[in-house]
Amino acid sequence: MNGDSFSLKLPLSRFATDSCEATTLYQELRKPLLRYLAGLGLSSDEGQDVVQEAFLILHKHLARGGSEQNIRSWLFRVVHNLARNHQQSYSQRMGQPLDAAFEKASSEATPEQTALEREKFRRMDKAVRALAVQERECLMLRAEGLRYREIGEVLGIPTSTVADLVDRAIKKLAEKCNV
Amino acid sequence: MCKYSERLIAWMDGELAENEAAKVEQHVRACAACGECLSSYEAASREFAAYYSAATQARPTPRIDKFPRWVPIAASVAAVALMLAIAFVPRSPKRSPMVQQEAAISSPVSTSPVRKTAAPTWQPIAEDHRPPYRQQKGITVGPARRPTKLENAKADWVMAEPAIQIAIPADAMFPPGAVPAGVTYIASVSLAADGTVLGLRLQP
Repeated sequence: MNGDSFSLKLPLSRFATDSCEATTLYQELRKPLLRYLAGLGLSSDEGQDVVQEAFLILHKHLARGGSEQNIRSWLFRVVHNLARNHQQSYSQRMGQPLDAAFEKASSEATPEQTALEREKFRRMDKAVRALAVQERECLMLRAEGLRYREIGEVLGIPTSTVADLVDRAIKKLAEKCNV
Repeated sequence: MCKYSERLIAWMDGELAENEAAKVEQHVRACAACGECLSSYEAASREFAAYYSAATQARPTPRIDKFPRWVPIAASVAAVALMLAIAFVPRSPKRSPMVQQEAAISSPVSTSPVRKTAAPTWQPIAEDHRPPYRQQKGITVGPARRPTKLENAKADWVMAEPAIQIAIPADAMFPPGAVPAGVTYIASVSLAADGTVLGLRLQP
C-alpha cells in the first residue's frame, strides 16, 4: 500500500470560515473520488454531482459536530453510498470496449509493444470483470491508497474481510493474467 | 502450500503487525516459492493500478438519459403535427353547424346509425397547398381511422370532427441514425371549428 492513514483535523470554525482550507480538501480528494466513481461505472457528470453532494454532506456533518477523523475514508464511504443511487450494473456501464483507453495509454509504443500491451490490457480487463463486486471495490480503493481499515469503513465490512478479499482478488488477477 | 502464503499480500501492503511482518519478511528471503509468488502479486498489483488508471480516465462518458428516448421524439412529432394541423385546417364559420352535428354523432353514448353510414367529412384541402418539402420528405395527409366505441369511451375529450391523420417519417425530422430506419409516428389531431386543437394522439 502506498499512502498512510489520512486524517484531517479540521475544527468546525476553521472549516466553515476558512474557504482556503475547504478548497484544499476539495482539490486533494476530488480526483481520487471521481476516479473511484468512474471505476464504479458512473459517468463523468454523475461523478461530479456525487462528489459535490458528498462535500455538502461533509459540511453538514462537521456543522453538526461530527467526527473530523479519517475524513478521506468518510468521504469515500459517502460517495460509495451515493453512487448506489446512480449505479447500474458494472457490466452494463463498463461494457464498452476499452480500446480507446488502451490507445491513449500506449500511444508512444512501437507496434510490437502495442500488440503485447493490448493483449495484456484485455486479459486484465477480462480478469477484473470476473471478480466479485466487493473484490473489485476493494482493489479500486486500495489503488486509491486506502488502508485495509479505511476500505472496511467505506464498504462497511471488517478489516479482516478486506484482507481476505484483497488477497483473493490479487491471486485471481495474478493467475488469470499469468504474471 | 506454504503457511505464509496467505499473508504475503497483506505483508506486501504493509498491513501486518510489526512482529508478524518481520517473520514473513524473514521467510520470504529464504523461501523461493514465496518469493516467486510475491513477485507475481506485485506485478498483478501494478498491472491493476495501470488498468484502473487508464480505464477510469479515458473511458468515454456514457450517454445519460434523464428522460426516456421517446419523450423528445414524441414531443417533436407533436409540435410538428400541431403546426401542420393549424396551418392546413379550414376555418370557415359555415362549417360550425356540421361540426356540432359531428360532435353529437361522435359522442361515446351515441348509437345513431348515421354514424356508421355517414360519409367522412374529411376533404383533401391540404393536398392543393402541399409545399414541395413535404412531398420530398414523404409526408402524407389522409383521413383518419374512425375511433372505436371503446376508444371513444376511454377518451376524455370528444372529437368535434373526424381526426386528421398525419404520417411523418422519422427521418424527415431527425438526423440520420437518431431513430431506427422506417420508424414513423402517426399523430391523430382532432380540431374544433375555430381551428383549436381538441386532442392529440401519437402512435408509432
